[in-house]
Amino acid sequence: METKSSTLEITILSAEDLRIDKKPVKKNAFVVVSIDAFNNKATKMDREGGSYPSWNDKLVMDMPMQTRFITLQVKYCKSSSGGERTVGVARIPVTDFIGGYSPETCLQYLSYRLRDPKGLKNGIINVCLRLKEPVQNCSSQAAAEAVAASGGGVGMGIPIDGRIDFGVVTGIPIWSGYPSNSLFR
Amino acid sequence: MGNCCSDAGGRMAAVGGTAATGNQNDAVDLYLKSRGIHGIFSQIELSFSATDLRDRDVFSKSDPMLVVYIKERDGSVTEVFRTEVVLNSLNPTWITKYTITFHFEAVQNLLFHVFDVDTQFQNVEVKMLKLEEQQSLGEASCALSEIVTKPNRLLTLDLVRRVESVSSTHSQHRGKLTVHAEECFSSKTTAEITLSCLDVESKDLFSKSDPFLVISKLVESGISIPVCKTEVLKNDHNPTWKPVFLNIQQVGSKDSPLVIECFNFNSNGKHDLIGKVQKSLEDLEKLHSVKEGENLFLPTLVGHDYENKILKSKLFVDKFSETIQHTFLDYLAGGFELNFMVAIDFTASNGNPRLPDSLHYIDPSGRQNAYQKAIYEVGEVLQFYDSDKCFPAWGFGARPIDGPVSHCFNLNGSSNNCMVEGIRGIMMAYTSALFNVSLAGPTLFGHVINRAALIASQSLANEAQKYFVLLIITDGVVTDLQETKDALVKASDLPLSILIVGVGGADFKEMEILDADKGERLESSSGRVASRDIVQFVSFRDVQGGEISVVQALLAELPTQFLTYMRSRDIKPCS
Repeated sequence: METKSSTLEITILSAEDLRIDKKPVKKNAFVVVSIDAFNNKATKMDREGGSYPSWNDKLVMDMPMQTRFITLQVKYCKSSSGGERTVGVARIPVTDFIGGYSPETCLQYLSYRLRDPKGLKNGIINVCLRLKEPVQNCSSQAAAEAVAASGGGVGMGIPIDGRIDFGVVTGIPIWSGYPSNSLFR
Repeated sequence: MGNCCSDAGGRMAAVGGTAATGNQNDAVDLYLKSRGIHGIFSQIELSFSATDLRDRDVFSKSDPMLVVYIKERDGSVTEVFRTEVVLNSLNPTWITKYTITFHFEAVQNLLFHVFDVDTQFQNVEVKMLKLEEQQSLGEASCALSEIVTKPNRLLTLDLVRRVESVSSTHSQHRGKLTVHAEECFSSKTTAEITLSCLDVESKDLFSKSDPFLVISKLVESGISIPVCKTEVLKNDHNPTWKPVFLNIQQVGSKDSPLVIECFNFNSNGKHDLIGKVQKSLEDLEKLHSVKEGENLFLPTLVGHDYENKILKSKLFVDKFSETIQHTFLDYLAGGFELNFMVAIDFTASNGNPRLPDSLHYIDPSGRQNAYQKAIYEVGEVLQFYDSDKCFPAWGFGARPIDGPVSHCFNLNGSSNNCMVEGIRGIMMAYTSALFNVSLAGPTLFGHVINRAALIASQSLANEAQKYFVLLIITDGVVTDLQETKDALVKASDLPLSILIVGVGGADFKEMEILDADKGERLESSSGRVASRDIVQFVSFRDVQGGEISVVQALLAELPTQFLTYMRSRDIKPCS
């Protein structure tokens, strides 16, 4: 199977209500966009933005066809020590902008809930993105090929009542020993 | 909704000017809202001309004059304007123009009446003329929205003897009247200016200054009125502030003198003036092009007089760009359309339609029920903005004659076509559907929202210049709130606005969650957040009297939603 890839133009616009240790983030927030472990890019830092930073930074990345998620990690740098901490993470399922209501080459404005490393809600991130080349249902095609090849194979799931639905689910990890009520805010 | 970025909070934040999205500032908005003017309003100038008028005078041609009336909802007409009298012409072009405020949310019915002014009144002032003594050359009527939605904003009407008369087959040729609309505006241009300073003096004892700028306009009496201020930059003697947006209309004109003062921020509120310059926008543009700085000066007391001491600090204009803010009417003139769609609640909670206490009762006396009122009030305004006047209409929560409960069935009873023609078509489909389905439940919006979103997305894929408005009329609280939220979040990036009208006596508190104005941004079950607020909810019961109906207030927000969508995606009207 040839690896087709498309070019993703993603502009990280802004974020809202970022907190670290329950206090609003003061400055130096930035975002790392990852398509997989090795394909990632970061925005510039917003030095004065505080807990409502805005970047308007456009990143152009290669996106292979089998991509299922694009991960956005909002981090911030404590200027004194230079160490970075993750404020929140959001995962954009590729099906949200491919095969959705808007054509994938059309500029789409999307916003996502950020969750901190413990799984708690921590703000919202606003992006706009588009693909440079149109896709002919590539992700569902690749998935269909995978199903045909491995007969309901690994990780594809078995469609119930004949529905072919390759939507993805974003789950919230449950940490054992964590008080359950704080996950549902 | 959309992006919200406030850097420094509270007193140190930038204030005033024009927001980047080009809205009027908050003070103006509040002023207008307190006078009942919601949303965007534009001043329109109407100019008139006529052709082929009847010749009334014996020895010369007619001396025509045009009178404009406003037709109220109850049928009464009020005179609002008269043109001048053009002598001796059957094809007059009147010079005096009529300025009217365009209200998107109301249907403004205008009546035009052409009179032949009798020669004996030649020297009488126009406003003193008694219309009963003049001879009528014909009348015509139309709605203001009909004029502004025409391609050249030019509408030609046939003059008839009596507008209300039914005998239109007997065409009494009385000529034609042409009305042309033009939007009045001082300027649509907004200037984006990035200012910076070099070598700001230190006013604080042990640290550098915390400078910020205040830009004021000078009025004739010499008083300066602040127009905007930048944010405060801490501890910086070479500050570069974030860009300010100034609408040329706000400051007067491009050569109006502006005073730019640089202050040092003090937390006790007494900010020290570091220095100032006096420049107009034109001068700032020049400074930007030659990339030179202008020295600040400080009025200092020398003896008994104030002298302008020139400082070494310099003000630079790093960026100066002008953008044109297109108005709602510009988009209409460029061919944009508003497409109306309607979904009606057929759940059993409305009551048996045959009984008078049902919300769906069709009164034989002609009195409209709540559903008909809502459809009519929204539909009659929006129909002018839809070129083919064909509207998709659905019902939900009922069981059609042979089938299971449907949460999105075509109101016209067809199995594959959801369109009806005109507001009358909606009313007819509604009344016939009432007796062809059995009311059931529960109240779910997800299916109709998804249908409407599909239509909007197909239009987007075809690059059609359309914006969709879905009206949902319901009597109850939605049952599956999360599914509705999911459908709304998925549709939030489409050119779609959803108006939800609640009728009947239910408690609609929960429904207000859907309207982000009254709460937070909607979040779907998969972690996606709505990129914009596309829902407006209002309950019919909240009618507080007054002239603007509840539904009209809802509609008044539409042009703003439309403009926010277009501007944020940088979609310009094609002229």
